[in-house]
Amino acid sequence: MNHEINREMIELSIPHRSEYVSMIRLTVTAIASSMGFDIEDIEDIKVALSEACSNAIMHGGCSAEENFVVQFIREQKRLTISVSDFGKGYSVQTLQDPKLEELNEGGLGIFIIRSLMDDVKIKTGSSQGTSITMIKNLREEA
Amino acid sequence: MALKIQKSFNEEEQLWVLVLEGEVDLHTAGILKKAVNEMLEEKKGSIRIMGDQLEYIDSTGLSVFIGTLKQLQKENLNILVRNLKPSIKKLLNITGLDKILVVEN
Repeated sequence: MNHEINREMIELSIPHRSEYVSMIRLTVTAIASSMGFDIEDIEDIKVALSEACSNAIMHGGCSAEENFVVQFIREQKRLTISVSDFGKGYSVQTLQDPKLEELNEGGLGIFIIRSLMDDVKIKTGSSQGTSITMIKNLREEA
Repeated sequence: MALKIQKSFNEEEQLWVLVLEGEVDLHTAGILKKAVNEMLEEKKGSIRIMGDQLEYIDSTGLSVFIGTLKQLQKENLNILVRNLKPSIKKLLNITGLDKILVVEN
């Protein structure tokens, strides 16, 4: 895959079932690795994408028979990943950063995604589903 | 990859040693939670997690740690973690969990 790529899209449609999350990690590892991301960045992307998929599966409000969509856009210098479900959505305003000193488990996933990726956008609303788009930039070679 | 769990009670140090091998994610976090609950039902004690062969964990697994810590702290017990991969240490760092758990080496 050494040919010049300007912009290519890969899309997966995945059942709302937890056993598929590890398969998505394998897929994104292959994509990110072929683009030249280093091991640390690949680990960041794996965790962030898993968090978004876990969110879709747990909070999307869809049945296991329905699918959600993971879209990868590979460009020269960045990888953009969107995870979209077609569930009931939730209010972003209710997503607060976790306060670990109070040992609060909620909201950790989104907080982790925002920490690990370079840019994150969340689109959600009642009955229009949720879409989390995250970008990781390839680091300039020293 | 699945998750394999080995648990044993170290009488000398009076704590549980939990060896995690594989991946803790949404699919396997329930297995971890069940194992930890069974351990603490059998005997209350701090838990040392051996991370040598822990390849992956995310918030679903960290939430199990946080929930367990809530129980343990009431009895002045704790969770200790040892030999974690750099990527997992990074995750504990950004979530601030490294200040609440005891990170050994």
